[in-house]
This record gives sequence, C-alpha cells and structure tokens, in this order.
Amino acid sequence: MRVRRTRRGNAAPQVGHADGPLAEILFLLRGPVEVLLTRATRRLSRLHPDAFARLGPFQGSTFRIAPTDFPVAFDLSPHPVHGRVSVVRPGAAHCGVARMSAPLADLLALFDGSLDADAAFFSRSIQVEGDIGAAMALHNALESAELRLSDLLALPAGNRLLNGLLDELAKLARKPASPAGA
Amino acid sequence: MGSIELVCPAGSPAMLHAAIQAGADSVYCGLRDETNARNFPGLNFDSAELNEAVRWAGARDAKVLVAINTFARAGQTDLWKRSVDQAVAAGAYAIIAADLGVLAYARDAHPQARLHLSVQAAANSAPAIQFYAETYGVKRVVLPRVLSAPEIATLAAETSVEVEAFVFGGLCVMTEGRCALSSYVTGRSPNLSGVCSPPEAVTFERTAETLTPRLAGLAVDRLAPGDPTGYPTLCKGRFDGFGTKDYLFEEPVSLNAMGLLAALRTAGVRAVKVEGRQRGKAYVSRVAAAFRAAIDALDRGEDPAPLEQRLSDLAEGGRETAGAYRKAWR
Repeated sequence: MRVRRTRRGNAAPQVGHADGPLAEILFLLRGPVEVLLTRATRRLSRLHPDAFARLGPFQGSTFRIAPTDFPVAFDLSPHPVHGRVSVVRPGAAHCGVARMSAPLADLLALFDGSLDADAAFFSRSIQVEGDIGAAMALHNALESAELRLSDLLALPAGNRLLNGLLDELAKLARKPASPAGA
Repeated sequence: MGSIELVCPAGSPAMLHAAIQAGADSVYCGLRDETNARNFPGLNFDSAELNEAVRWAGARDAKVLVAINTFARAGQTDLWKRSVDQAVAAGAYAIIAADLGVLAYARDAHPQARLHLSVQAAANSAPAIQFYAETYGVKRVVLPRVLSAPEIATLAAETSVEVEAFVFGGLCVMTEGRCALSSYVTGRSPNLSGVCSPPEAVTFERTAETLTPRLAGLAVDRLAPGDPTGYPTLCKGRFDGFGTKDYLFEEPVSLNAMGLLAALRTAGVRAVKVEGRQRGKAYVSRVAAAFRAAIDALDRGEDPAPLEQRLSDLAEGGRETAGAYRKAWR
C-alpha cells in the first residue's frame, strides 16, 4: 500500500508558570473567581440544557482542564444545577473523571470546535488522562451546542477583558495547520 | 450538486451545519444510541434534533441520510425498528442499513423509504448487491474499502444500483461488518455496539520516555515522545510477532482518494463519502470544502490534484494513503 507521510503537528510548548508570582496572585484571588465562574457555568446550563444533556452519565463529573502555559488549572463540574468551577494549582492531586492538558489556545480551539480533536490527538498536542469517554462527552457536548470554552469559563457580562483575551487566544489557534502552500 | 454527490459526516447538529455550509450535498448522521456505528459519548442526534436537521438541510437543498447500520441484537430489535420509524418520521432522504432484519422492517413498514446499503453489509460483488436491490429495494450501495478502482468500475457496470465510495477518513482493514477484534478484549464491537475501541476501555500510560495506549489493559503500541499516534484500536496496534515488532494488520493511516476522483467518476461512482462522524466541525468544514473544490474543479475540466495536500494534517498517524484503490495486494 502506498503511504504518504505528512507534516507532524507542532509539539506543545511546556511553558507553564505554575510557580511564578502571577500564579500566586491568581491563586489568592481564586475565591471570587470561582464564584463568578461557577455562576457563569450554571447560567449556561439554563441557556443550553441540550449541551448538558449530551454529557449523559458525566453530568456533574469533575474534569481537570490544565493549560500547559497558564499558571492555574480549572476543575470543571458541568452539572445542570450544581455546576461548579474551581481554580487549582496545575499539579494539584486530581480525583476527577478526566484531565485534559494542552496549550491554552489549543484547549480553547478544541472546545469551540475550531481545532479538530482527533488531529490534535494524533499529533499529540493534547493529552488526555482518565476516562477517555468522559473527555469525549465533554468535547462533543460543548461543540454540539456551539459553545466556546470561554463561554463556559467566562465571567458574566462586563468582563470584556477576559472574554476578549480568551477569544484572541482562540483565534490564534484557528490559524491554518495545513502545510505551507496548500 | 456536481457530477458526484459529496456525502459528509455529522456527529452533531453543529457538524451538520458546518458540513452543509462547507459544500456537502448530503450529510449522514445517527441517533443517540447503539443503532449506529459511531455510538460515542456526547455524539449523535435525538429525535427532535433529527427533525430540525432535516428541515434545516432541506431549506438549503441538502439531504440527510440516517445511519441505522449496526446489527440488531436478539431480543432488542424494537430499538432498531424505532430508529427506522424516527428517521422516516423526520423526513430523512434515506436510511443507511446493513442488517437484513432492519432492511426488511424498513421495506415492510415504510415501503416509500429510500434504503442505502451500509458499508457494514460488506457487499462487494454484483450478485450480492443485486440481492439487496431485489429483496429490499436498496437504491444505493456503500462499497467496502477493500476494492480497487478497476474492481469498482467492473462492479458498477454490472449493477443498476447507485454506487457510493469512501474517499477520505479512517480506514478499516477488515471486511466491514465482520470485525470482532475489539469485542475479544472489551466485549463490545463496531458492528454490534457501534464502537471499535469503546472509550471507557481506553487508557494511556505515560512515562518520561514512552506513551503506551492500552485497550482493556492490553498494550496496543508504545510511542516515543513526539511520535504521531493513531486510534487505539487492535487492528492498528504494533506488536511483536512473526519475528518482528511492527503493525500486524494495518498501519495508522488515513484514506485520501482525492487524486482518484476522476477515476472513480469514470468507474460509475455516483457519490463519494467522507468518514468521521466522531471528529467534529473543524474536521468536516475543511474536508467538505476541499472535496467540494475538487469536485467543482473536476466538473470544470480542471485537475484537482493541487488540492490533495490540503488535508494532510488531519490524517491518523500523520500519514495518508490511497488505500485499496491503488492496492498491490489481495
């Protein structure tokens, strides 16, 4: 069989700042941030019940979303009523159902559907640990509802700075990954 | 629509929208249960979503095909019958089925329904296809991915049934519909449960030096840092056997037969199909747009070859192949 080798995906940069001063500041501020993120998650569950229904048995499970280049990680529990988001240190012990790690821009693009999850997996730019079915359910649920991760993690109206930042990062990840000149 | 119908996958309403907006003539989808061969968590359509999908697609002159293409289990056949009823009630253009019982039910309960024979039926000869046409009224056959282009030409000339062929996406090395590899280790199979490697049976073991994908605890490969990987299936695993450590069945590669579109059209292929309902809207947007451009180029008398490299980074294991269409093996 004729086989053609194609370009490999870029290796994910591992430039986390988990021990830097920004991490400490974010971690100290985690209380109000968690309240706002949790409120946003519950608001979205009211607006998009279909997305949460797609999670099936994983509604309320805890997912660790760990950007490799961000000072903190997030524990997301997407329950339609008791949904919750916690800010945690990236290396904190995780007892949830699945852990997804990749550069922040890739994670954002993955969940808003602008990055192909399988291609990211083939090129190993994303790592998934734990229950693979749960991770698939979360990705499929968010994508099918045409939600963005920034929707799920975003602060409510008025927080344009963070939302804008997340959107800009997602745009970066949308840059074509096809070979040059194609 | 061009000279060849472009049939694209939709694992969700968002993916259906993306496929049609990118140029698909038809989309195929499944209901959210084990009646379709992509029964993954969070994927597929419920009844209301299917109704809306057919309406949305119809408003854009696109067709929705519903895959009810797993094999019904004894004592549970009502689930497959209910799926057929739902697809017909939604106004789907066609039902894609493989199981003789499902085909018979659709024929008897809904004689007006258009039936396509799924690749899962593994019909790869004219007499077999003719049997399905005469017995169940099948109007189109989706060919297994084990035929060469000349074989398809011979087959298409011998049957009046429309021929649909895969041109992009995951490859199956088995004669589809008859694979029991994953059921040996996980208890679930693609043909009965709709999953090759059930996600709950997949784990990845990481060390500083290696990544080891496991299926129900069995290592199916061992990868060095940065090595591209494929789906963690037994058929694409790397094993120690016959005196060598290599892929025993098939390497993790993706099918890309864009360069064979002209040959397939000449061979009498009516529709070309993209695999990948599990992949998402980013994937289907790019693949549908590329094949739309290729078919349109072909219809203008131009060579679509320059478009062939557009999709390389989507390939499993980072590699593409023309699959059996240019095979030198039997």
